[in-house]
Amino acid sequence: MDFFNNKTGDVKAVENVSFEIPEGEILGLVGESGSGKSTLGRAIIRLIEPTEGKIYYKNKNIIEFSDGEMRKLRKDFQIIFQDPYASLDPRKKVFDIISQGLKVHEKIDKNSINLKVEEIIQDVGLQKEHLNRYPHEFSGGQRQRIGIARALVLNPKFIIADEPVSALDVTIQAQILNLILELKKKYSLTILFISHDLSVINQIADRVMVMYLGHLVEVANTSKLFSNPQHPYTKSLIETAPQIFRKNKKKTILKGDIPSPINPPSGCVFRTRCPNPGIDCKGGDVEMALVEIEPGHWVDQCCAKNI
Amino acid sequence: MDSENLLTIKNLRTHFSVGESVVKAVDGVSFNLEAGKTFAIVGESGSGKSITALSIMGLLPNNLAQTERGEILFDNKNLIDLEENEMRKIRGNRISMIFQEPMTSLNPVYDLSYQISETIILHQKKSKEQARKIAIEMLDLVGIPEPQKRIDSYPHELSGGMRQRAMIAMALSCNPKILIADEPTTALDVTIQAQIIDLMQELQKKLGMSIIFITHDLGVVSEISDHVMVMYLGNVMEIAETSELFNNPLHSYTKSLIDIAPQITNQKREIKLLRGEIPSPTNPPSGCVFRTRCPNPGIDCKGGDIEMGLIEAKPGHWVDQCCFK
Repeated sequence: MDFFNNKTGDVKAVENVSFEIPEGEILGLVGESGSGKSTLGRAIIRLIEPTEGKIYYKNKNIIEFSDGEMRKLRKDFQIIFQDPYASLDPRKKVFDIISQGLKVHEKIDKNSINLKVEEIIQDVGLQKEHLNRYPHEFSGGQRQRIGIARALVLNPKFIIADEPVSALDVTIQAQILNLILELKKKYSLTILFISHDLSVINQIADRVMVMYLGHLVEVANTSKLFSNPQHPYTKSLIETAPQIFRKNKKKTILKGDIPSPINPPSGCVFRTRCPNPGIDCKGGDVEMALVEIEPGHWVDQCCAKNI
Repeated sequence: MDSENLLTIKNLRTHFSVGESVVKAVDGVSFNLEAGKTFAIVGESGSGKSITALSIMGLLPNNLAQTERGEILFDNKNLIDLEENEMRKIRGNRISMIFQEPMTSLNPVYDLSYQISETIILHQKKSKEQARKIAIEMLDLVGIPEPQKRIDSYPHELSGGMRQRAMIAMALSCNPKILIADEPTTALDVTIQAQIIDLMQELQKKLGMSIIFITHDLGVVSEISDHVMVMYLGNVMEIAETSELFNNPLHSYTKSLIDIAPQITNQKREIKLLRGEIPSPTNPPSGCVFRTRCPNPGIDCKGGDIEMGLIEAKPGHWVDQCCFK
């Protein structure tokens, strides 16, 4: 993309990432701001066109799909956004917000639309009366329920939940996480769950990918990742997450900030903040790539060598 | 014990008039802040945490908010009775405050040198040059690299973590007795949050100030505080030492919060729930304010004769009387 012709360099927001999501899984994606989580989430449904790569959905490479084909596919993919204040149109009634997808994608009559919308609003724990109100009349938790209803109304197959509970109070956060799990069962959903909060990921995900500066640094199923983290970044994230009943008092606090993606470190991208960087990590011949150290547990090869 | 108390809040009530109705944002809050200790205030949005802090600082507009009755005792003075010009000598000097979002609480059109020096010049009667020197020392103290260079930076040139460090530098530049931190790490990434918590603990050891730490995150509370106060809808539910509160919570709201708090375990955990949402403060429930969400409300809780008020269940462990019965 070239804005205002003042292109000075490429930001590699997501670099050489490969993974798959089996049907019915909740795959957690965790990382700091600027790690590329949201870009990755949008790129896999082509809301941001990837520069390079392939995306297979039901064994078809959707990168090769035409706009028309892609538009038909859109109803299979939905997003739940972080900020329930910003993601609902303040001038539309809840009914219009939820039904818009139906009007675009489904050729069904008014009556069926009404029935469908009334069903979905109850599924997310609100009432029919709420359909006639505007977003500002709802609390944050209720708005997030409306956002979920909008995402589910077309019976999607795949949901990208982009920090869906980060803006909510803890008690409401638990309610929404629980709702997502219930609806996942009812609607047979597959979910990519993006969050910066490891404890949320721990509660909801079947498998976790840890991302740093555009690269995946570790991928494993949830219990393995939390019981036996291998990458120093994952370790530090787990150790420093504030906990009420912390068993392990040892904390490795990372120094500095995440570097700018315009000018990432050479070699291993994590080396500038790594508690024990090796001499190798800096070298120009170090390439970021995951290797499988045990079945289903992948870690960046640079760090895997030292294990 | 009393001699160590640096700040004593007694029965603080801050009410707002909104049209015809009165919002009781803070309704009868009492606690002691001990010298050199960290006191956490925890609660959901709308519980009155921040209004408590702003009342202590005298930062609420007089025409809207009424801090009635109640006492805020600091240095043998009741801060509620102070004239504005007297309060100004305390605010930013003896008691200072940092906020959640360092980008909006720093002034974008002034560099750090100006913003930090301003406080020092005003309260410590230093010259511009001396103030700048102190400001550089403060930046160094809070771990900003190359402080001589960074002092001339504008807020937008700093990362979120660095901005919060600059805020802390500014707040501590007059060596205050009390630092009020209102959700100082909520807007930050986890790794940066860990850095800032670590920094605040280190600075407390070095400078000996007391901290009032406001947060919604019980995990952060357990990392940083000596005592905790749990608030709900303008009322205090429970006050205790941190480990006592987590190991023997007495109030049903505290118990729910601890149950719900996400914890990292090796297995996926079942999600525990607390139903409903915090009610509107314009129309709080009669009787115990928590009863509409309480997992086990008694018949008594609803009655008109119930008044919210703390009783000391064990030495140093206070809980709302309704739940203690």
